[in-house]
Amino acid sequence: MYELLGAGIANLMQVKYLLPLFLGTLAGVLGGALPGVTITMTIIVVLPFTFGLDPLQGLAAMTGVYVGGSAGGLVTATLLGLPGTPSAIATTFDGHPMAKKGEAGRALWLGIWASFFGGLLGGVFLIAATAPLAAFALRFGPWEFFALFILALSMVAGLAESSLLKGLVSGCLGLIVTILGTDPVMGQDRLTLGIGFIKGGIDFLPVLIGVFAFSQVMGEIERGGAARAADAAHAAGRLVVSQIKVIWEILSRPFQLLWFAFIGVVIGVLPAIGGSAASMMAYDQAKKISRRPQAFGSGVPEGIIASESSNNANVGGSLVTIMAFGIPGDAVTAVMLGALTIHGIQSGPLFISQNTQLAYGIFAAYLLAHPLMVLIMALGARWMLRIVTVPKAALFPVVLVLCTIGAFALNNTMSNVYVLLVFGVLGYLMVKFGFPLAPFILGVILGDQIEINLVRSLMTDSNLSLFVTRPISALLLGAALASIALSIWQHRRISRR
Amino acid sequence: MKLSKDGWGGLAVLAASLFLFALTLGLKDNPLVPIGPGFYPRIVLGLTALLAAMLVVSDLLKTRMPVPRARLAYGAVLLHFAVFGVYAVALPWLGFRIATFAYVAATNALLDVPRSARGWLRVGLLALGTALATYYVFEHYLLVLLPRGRWTGF
Repeated sequence: MYELLGAGIANLMQVKYLLPLFLGTLAGVLGGALPGVTITMTIIVVLPFTFGLDPLQGLAAMTGVYVGGSAGGLVTATLLGLPGTPSAIATTFDGHPMAKKGEAGRALWLGIWASFFGGLLGGVFLIAATAPLAAFALRFGPWEFFALFILALSMVAGLAESSLLKGLVSGCLGLIVTILGTDPVMGQDRLTLGIGFIKGGIDFLPVLIGVFAFSQVMGEIERGGAARAADAAHAAGRLVVSQIKVIWEILSRPFQLLWFAFIGVVIGVLPAIGGSAASMMAYDQAKKISRRPQAFGSGVPEGIIASESSNNANVGGSLVTIMAFGIPGDAVTAVMLGALTIHGIQSGPLFISQNTQLAYGIFAAYLLAHPLMVLIMALGARWMLRIVTVPKAALFPVVLVLCTIGAFALNNTMSNVYVLLVFGVLGYLMVKFGFPLAPFILGVILGDQIEINLVRSLMTDSNLSLFVTRPISALLLGAALASIALSIWQHRRISRR
Repeated sequence: MKLSKDGWGGLAVLAASLFLFALTLGLKDNPLVPIGPGFYPRIVLGLTALLAAMLVVSDLLKTRMPVPRARLAYGAVLLHFAVFGVYAVALPWLGFRIATFAYVAATNALLDVPRSARGWLRVGLLALGTALATYYVFEHYLLVLLPRGRWTGF
């Protein structure tokens, strides 16, 4: 394993890989820093640039975006009090008060180094856990895969903030997208509705790009927030600080750092919970284990360390899920899954054994993206505050043009651009009606696999009881039911309050 | 009893899933495999219809608190979807460069209305820069073929 990792790092050190990794990390940091532009949006914009690259170059760029984006949000969170990404919300609680007290440099660098160490701890888990988990998943038959996908979908639907029912309906809508066009088992046409571009099925990437990009851009437009960007004029002054002092401030709390990173990793492994929940939970834990919880919110370092270390460790956890099981943990890894598909690579349990070099290349890219992120922050944190003032009136049309290129270039047809528009409208309407997008996207991604595994299992043996008599399948289906039951209980508890 | 957004959303999903369910009844089974192409869609659509119906019923039974409504620019959203729709339709006819120039100029001008010659210059430069930079990067560097115009050949 260490030899493969060493070879992966040596490979990545070549300019042809290092450059896309650096540019991806830079794009991620900038996208993360821009309030209103999420990591998902950034990775969607970067996706078309990877089409002409080889798989490792493309995936290195995307890994860079993911790592950079998870850290980028802290710049505006600490200096302006505006979280660049949802995962940086908890960073504003103590980062901004600390900056306002005249310690902007300390607040910023505590966040940067906490992201660095948290991310690396997540990387240790990623490298150590992916292969054993993938080997475990190799024991799965169609019954277990079907049960695993149902568990992923039920967990994501159950986490919907609005209501469980809406989460489940949203997941089912995603599944409906996959039944239009072609039967994936026999390749027979079905439910084409007489529309040309539905024949042959609908690619999930234009769907994903459409629902996320349009819902975000149109959401800003309806609030009238597109004309001018945030005013960064009041950003705090000196960002120069003793790096050794800041690093010591973090490393002198080794158990806390480990605990926050562990929270991030665990949340990352579970599908669709995401970095924002990880940072919030870690922040809450930091408060609970602190000797001075009342000081939280006034600029305490533990608050920043908790939030930033966990949201970057979360990236490592998310990558484990996609590399070992082929299940995207969130929208960002869903786009990465799409990038793999474009390059003809199948993710899932066989990924690491069939594409060992590529898998270790991704591990290496993940590890190297962290020092690159620190370097980018060191060189450009002050300049970033200028960039975040780019008017969204200029940003939005450029983003939508890049989304169009991304959709068109998938197979050089206009069909995908029409799919992009149709699902852009649908995504916007779903958001307006309070239907969460995450279960929908997971439904679109897993739909074909759910059908293939269900049909395969029934064609192997029509005995339905096998789903509950095979131990792993039974365990996974039990967990799916438990997740729905837990979600019902939680929603009831909240509504009683 | 009045429906809220949840109820209307549920009703729309219920109608769509029942319509598609009806279409699956016309799907012919394949004699080679015991499970036909309509088997799984019927499960998914049936489940969706059931969940959507539950959403409508739960919305009807819910007691509502008055919610203050924010003023949102739905007209602007509609306009921007329409502009993007025109862009999507125009792409194969005008070609990537001309259509993108027009789209970026129109969208930028609608989002931040230019009030002086300088403003129009900004719109023009952004549109020209976006069209040319994306064309150059994707066509020449990343070897991604972008749409050529049937009318313009450009």
